[in-house]
Formats: sequence, structure tokens, C-alpha cells
Amino acid sequence: MDGVRSLIGFIADNTSGILERTIEHATIVLGVMLVATVFSVVLGIAVQNRGLAKQVSLGTAGVLLTIPSLALFAIFIPLVGIGNRPAQIALFLYAILPILRNTVAGLDAVDPAIVEAAQGMGMGQFQQLVRVRIPLAWPVIIAGVRVSTQLITGVAAIAVLVGGGGLGAYIQRGLTSLGNPFSIERVWTGTLFIILLALVLDAVLGAIGRRTTSPGIR
Amino acid sequence: MSAPTATTTVRRFDPRAELGLIVTPVVLGAVFLAYWGWLGGQDLSSQAESALTTTNLVRQTGEQLSITALSTIGVLLIAIPLGIALTRPRGKRFAGPALAVANAGQAVPAYGLLVLMLAILGGVFGRANDNILQNTLGVWLGPGLVITVISLILFAILPVLRNTMVGLTQVDQDVIEAGLGMGMTRREVLLRIELPLAVPVMLAGVRTALVINVGMATLAFLIGGGGLGVTIRSGIQLSQNLVVLTGGVLTALLALGIDWIGGVAERLLRPKGI
Repeated sequence: MDGVRSLIGFIADNTSGILERTIEHATIVLGVMLVATVFSVVLGIAVQNRGLAKQVSLGTAGVLLTIPSLALFAIFIPLVGIGNRPAQIALFLYAILPILRNTVAGLDAVDPAIVEAAQGMGMGQFQQLVRVRIPLAWPVIIAGVRVSTQLITGVAAIAVLVGGGGLGAYIQRGLTSLGNPFSIERVWTGTLFIILLALVLDAVLGAIGRRTTSPGIR
Repeated sequence: MSAPTATTTVRRFDPRAELGLIVTPVVLGAVFLAYWGWLGGQDLSSQAESALTTTNLVRQTGEQLSITALSTIGVLLIAIPLGIALTRPRGKRFAGPALAVANAGQAVPAYGLLVLMLAILGGVFGRANDNILQNTLGVWLGPGLVITVISLILFAILPVLRNTMVGLTQVDQDVIEAGLGMGMTRREVLLRIELPLAVPVMLAGVRTALVINVGMATLAFLIGGGGLGVTIRSGIQLSQNLVVLTGGVLTALLALGIDWIGGVAERLLRPKGI
């Protein structure tokens, strides 16, 4: 109980610093997610009907997700130096697979009869895509975006190891000062606020997903 | 860290996947040799030379492999019996809560979990010298490694637990009844019908756990557990890009190799007939 009280005390005494790191963390995650979502959805649309391209892009994205996060961060350091940049690139590569996979699966699941009906109504390829296929696949795509966001919010904790920012800084400070006052409180603060941020982002994306889903399939 | 999403999909027989199992080690080997050759031609600074000795790299690879192997064995020993227990009639009501706890655990950042485990278990393995764990496992493997393995087990339980439960619950009830009708006991039905039918789904979970473990083992250096992360960190600290890159490339190849072994195991251990 004493531990909890001193953790609450630590958080209360450091609200502005924690807020700053949380915003830093959220900025990294949101920036990466924005780029990754656009990239993966466009790629998913492009490869969905092309068997080989689909296998190759899904396979490559799978390989990227198999590479340990720190290794992927490290590989980009010689190219872009230390700081947030290698972390952002690696997180972007990590975020691709869940969105890409769900975009392809969502589009695959659209009933061909509906697409044919759209065609029969005189819609061109682009209109069919934008007005029929994407809206129908949207809930699945959003689910992929949520999975990726959860994943990279956690992984972004180690951005600090390659010179980046974010809430991992609290964990790192705690680790380097282990045994000194407030070290364990720092670790808990970093860990808990990352979990909290992941939950908040997930809830926000869930709400966005519901609002942007066509009323007909809600 | 990487916590790849647990998958419950089982790859059916697919010629392309079979081909992948043969091509992957060749590609990984070729990349390794090409990188090694390229590195040999580089002009290394003395700092880089001393960080990249073969002895260091082999030892760290060994550490990374033992962490991965030990934690995967630990996961199997805990998650499979637990998964079986939670799908039996008496255990079923605990299934929901158990999965909820395991799911929530996935949201914990690996870095935070490792350091918290160090803070909590550090006293058990690090300081108290009269401790039985310290005197056995701790001396043999080093406290950092033991704490890493325990953290990794916590982290990678979910995919195996979930897939064991999914695999067992999706077994056709009629098949189970047929077994009972043939005079099999509950135990025989479990061992000879349910588990063999669940194996493909369970193996997919084990492969996911392997990938999580080899990835997290890269962070073991943070709490003194060794592994190839040591090379990555010293490269960053010394601003030696070649050292960082070598650590990253070797770790990536190791992880992909482990995933390949998981794929081969998935293929070979799948019972014939399904």
C-alpha cells in the first residue's frame, strides 16, 4: 500500500513532465499510424486482386514483424542517425502487416454480387471502390488499425534506447537509478502511462470506427 | 518489443509455403555470408574491432538462444496444461477470466515488464546469497538471464494458452462422443482424440511464442541477461554504426531462423491425416 501511495505521490509531483512525455509518445505513435494506415490501405487495395503481389507484400510485412524491434531500430541507425527517426521508420514497418492483412481480408469478403450490382448501376471502377468496396471493408480495416496502434504504442517504449523520446524515458531513468528513491515509481509511471495511452487510443479509434462505418452495416 | 499478434490461423497444405520452408534457410544463409563478407572488407575502428570479436558474438548468440529456448519450454510447460485444465468441465468457468488476464498482460510494454521484474525479483536472485534459487539457477545462468526468462514466460503465455483452448474447443463434439462410445475413458479421449486434433492450432501458437521470445531476448541486456542486444547497445554508446548494424542484422537473421525452425516443427509435428 505504501508503494501505491508513493507512486501516486510521484505522479502528482511530476504531472507536467509526465504529460510532456505522454504527448511525445502519442505524437510518435499517431504520426507513424497516419502514414502506415494510408500506405497499407493503398497497398492493400492495389494488391488485393493480384495473387502474386498479394503473397509477396503480405509475406514481406510478415517478415518485418518477425524481426525483433530493437534489431529493426538498430538497422536504421547507420542510415538516419539516432533519435526518433530510426524508431519511427521501424514502427512504421511494424504497423503495416495488421492493416494490410485486414484491408485485403475486408475487400476479399465483399460479396461479388454487390460489386456487380454497383457495376450494373453504372459505377466505374473507382466509384465501386470508394462508394461500395471500401465502405463495406471499413470495419475490418479499422480493426487492423487498432491492432497496429496497440502494438506500436508498446514497442515505442524502447525508442528511448536509440536516442528517441516518449514514456520509455521514465522506464530508462528508473532502471539506471534502481535502488535510489523513486526509481521503481518511475518504472511504474512509464509502464502504466503507456498502457493507459494504448487504452485511450484504442477507445478513440473504436469511436472513430463506429462513427465512420456506413449506417447500413453498423 | 515486439509482441506480434497471436494468430489462430493454421496454414493448410500449400505448395508455396512448403517451398518457403526450403528457400528460407538458403536465403538467410546467403544474407549472412554476404553481410559477413561485406563487413570483412570494411575498415573497422579499434573500438568496433573489440566489440565485434567472434567470441563475443558467438557467446551473445548462445545467450539469446538459451533465453529463447528456456522461456519457450517454460511457456509450453505452463500454458498447455493450463489450457487443457481450462477446457475441462470443471475448469471452464475460469476460462474467461484467465484469458482476460492474459490478454491484458499483452498491453504491457516489454521494456517496462523487464525492469519491473528486475526490481521485484532482483532481491530474490541478486542480493540474497543464501537463497536456493540464487544458488542453483542464478549461479548457473546468471540472475539477469533467469529474470529475463521469467518475464518472457509471462509475456508469451497468451498465444499458446489461447491456441490450446481454441484448438481443444473446436474439436467436433461428435468425434469425442464416438470415442466415448468406443469405450474410451475421458483421459483416453483427451490424449488420443482431442489433443492430436488440436495440435495444428496449438503449434501455430507455439510459433508465435517463439517469435515473441527471440524478440524479447534482444532486450535481455537491459537487465544483465546478455544476448545480441549487448552489441547493439555498445554500438549506440560508442557511436559505431557498423557495430549497431552488425548487432541488428545478426539479431534479425537469428529471429528469422528461429521462425523458420518453428515453421518446420509446425509442418513435421502435425499429425498425419489432418
